[in-house]
Amino acid sequence: MITFEGAGKRHPDGTIAVEGLDLEVPTGRITVLVGPSGCGKTTLLRMVNRMVEPTSGRVLLDGTDVAQLEPAKLRRGIGYVIQQAGLFPHRKVIDNIATVPYLLGWDRKEARARAAELLELVGLAPETAKRYPFQLSGGQQQRVGVARALAADPPVLLMDEPFSAVDPVVRAGLQEELLRLQSELHKTVLFVTHDIEEAVRLGDQVVVLREHGRIAQLADPHTLLTTPADDGVAAFLGRDRGLRGLGLRPASAVALRPVGDGLRYGGWELALDDAGRPIGWIDRTAVSAELHPAAGFRPETDTLRTALDAVVLSPAGVAVALDGDGRATGTASRDAILAALTPTGATAVGGIDANADESSDTNVGTGPDANAGAKADAKTTVSTRKALAADGTGEAGTTDRVGGPEGSDGGR
Amino acid sequence: MNWLNWLSDFFSAPDHRSGPDSIVHRVSEHLLLSGEALLYAALLAVPLGLLIGYTGRGVTAVTALAGAARALPTLGLVTLAVLLAGVGDTAVLIPLVALAAPPLLVAAVEGVRGTDPDVRDAARGIGLTHPQVLWQVCLPSSAPTLLAGFRTATVQVIATATVAAYVGLGGLGRYVIDGLATRQYAVTVGGALLVVLLAVGAQLFFTLLARFALPPGVRAQRRAR
Repeated sequence: MITFEGAGKRHPDGTIAVEGLDLEVPTGRITVLVGPSGCGKTTLLRMVNRMVEPTSGRVLLDGTDVAQLEPAKLRRGIGYVIQQAGLFPHRKVIDNIATVPYLLGWDRKEARARAAELLELVGLAPETAKRYPFQLSGGQQQRVGVARALAADPPVLLMDEPFSAVDPVVRAGLQEELLRLQSELHKTVLFVTHDIEEAVRLGDQVVVLREHGRIAQLADPHTLLTTPADDGVAAFLGRDRGLRGLGLRPASAVALRPVGDGLRYGGWELALDDAGRPIGWIDRTAVSAELHPAAGFRPETDTLRTALDAVVLSPAGVAVALDGDGRATGTASRDAILAALTPTGATAVGGIDANADESSDTNVGTGPDANAGAKADAKTTVSTRKALAADGTGEAGTTDRVGGPEGSDGGR
Repeated sequence: MNWLNWLSDFFSAPDHRSGPDSIVHRVSEHLLLSGEALLYAALLAVPLGLLIGYTGRGVTAVTALAGAARALPTLGLVTLAVLLAGVGDTAVLIPLVALAAPPLLVAAVEGVRGTDPDVRDAARGIGLTHPQVLWQVCLPSSAPTLLAGFRTATVQVIATATVAAYVGLGGLGRYVIDGLATRQYAVTVGGALLVVLLAVGAQLFFTLLARFALPPGVRAQRRAR
C-alpha cells in the first residue's frame, strides 16, 4: 500500500505544485490519478519513487517512509513506466527489459530468460528480443516499457501517462492488455492520466484532482460516472457519462432468448449459416431476400454498452449474442437490453416495453444522445434506422475492444 | 609536369627510402606525435566534458572557452612553450593538446546533453545511480557526437603537427621546412602531400568508424534527427 500523508511540493520559486495530499493507494488494485495538466498528478506519482522529494508531509510504502530508503535501491523495487517509454536506444529489446535484473546483479543468462518470459507476457513475438527500440512501433515500445517495469517482479507499478502518445486504437489494445496483466499479477498500480475515459476504464479507484493536487472526488468508476461530487467533476467527466458508464458493466446481465425459441422478431427473421453463425436479418415483408447486417455482442467479455450498440445497429432492434466462435447462442431484444440497463440495486421497472423508454432513461441517468437512441421505436424503422446506425458507428470506435492479446499493434 | 617530376624525385631519393629521414620513419614520427597529443587531450577533455554535460553546470563557460581557444595561434604557442619548457616533445605537445582539447570538450558536453531526457528520466526512475546513467546511457548516446569530435581534433592535429619541425623535432614537417631551407621544393611538396594524405585518411577512418562501429540503435537515432 502507498500512503500519502499531507504530501506537498512547493517549488523553490514559491509556486505550489501540490498543496498537501492525503491518499491511500490500496495493495493489488489500480488507482488512477486524473486531472487537467498542472494539477500535480505527475508530481505526486514521482514522490513515490523519490524522483520528486516532497517539501511537506511524507509518502509511505507499506508503512515505511520512502525518504528513509536509498533512492536507487527503492526504485529497483518499483516498476516505472513513462509516456515516451524511455527505452535505451543502444540496447536490444531483451537487454532493455533485463535492465533492472542486471542492476540487481542477476546472472546474465537468468536475466535474459526472465526478459524473454516478460516479452511473451506483454504480447510481443519472441523475435522482437533481438531488435532495437527504433525498429518498433510506438505501441510495441510501450509494451517493452511495461515489460521492463515488471522484470524484477516489483509489487508496485508507477505509470505516468504510459499510453498517451499512441493512437486511440493501439491505446485501447494496451489498456486491454494492462487489465489482463493485472488480473494475473495483482500489482499495486498508481496510474496517472489526463484522459477521464482511460481513468474509468482502468481504475478500481479513480482520484479526480484539481489544481494544487486537491482531491475533487475519490470513487470507483461507476459511482464517479453516476454521481459526480459537484458540477466541476461532472463537467470534467463530459457528456454521455451515463452511457459511458454502461461500458463498465458486463453484458452477461442481459437475459437472452435461446436460439431454439425461434429467430423471428415481428417482420424480421435472423438467418444463420450451417455452423450457426448469423448471416443477417431478412425483412419478411419485403419481396427481395436482401440481408441486413446482424450486429452481435459476446455476453462473456463485452459490456452493456456493446450490447446496446448492437441493438441500435440492428434493423430488427435485436442484438445477437455470440460465443467465442461467432455462433449465435441467443438473441436479446431491445426490451431485454433495456431491462439489463436498470442500475444494479434497483428493481426493474415492471413490464418494460417500447413505451417505458423514459422511465428507464431516468434510472440510468443517460444524456440526450441516449434518449435519441432509446426512442428508436419499432414503428419508425427505416428512416431513423440510418441515423441511429451513423450514431452507433461513431461510438463504436471508443467502446469496442480493439486489438487482440497477441499485440496486433501493427508493424513498424 | 613539373609536379610529377618533383614527386618522383621525392619518393625515389635514397635518403627517403631508408634511414632517419626515410618516409616511413617520418610518417611514424608524425603519427606518434599526433597520437600522443590526442591521447592527452582526450584524457583531459572527455571526462571533464562528460561531467559538465551531465550536470549541466559550466556549459556556457566551456563553450566560450572552447571558442576562444580556437583563436590561439599555434606557432605563437610553440614559441612560448619552447621558452618555458625548452626544446623537446613537451614544447610541441602543449600547443597540439591546446588545439585538440576544445573540439573534444565541446563534443563530450554536447553528446551528453543530447541524450533523450525521457531516456535519462526512465534510467533514473528504474534505479540507475548517477554514475550508471552517465556510463550506461549518456556515454553510448553521445558516441556519434564524440566520434565527430575526435575526427575534427585528429585532422587538425595531424595537419598542425608539422610545427614540430619548426623547433627541430621530427615528423613530416621536416620535409616541408628542410625543403624550403635548401630550396629543394620537391621535398617540400612531397612532405605537404603526405600530410594531406594522412589527414584525409584520418577523416575517412573516423567516418567509417561512425558508420560501422556504433551500436545500431545509436546510429539510427542519429540518422532520424
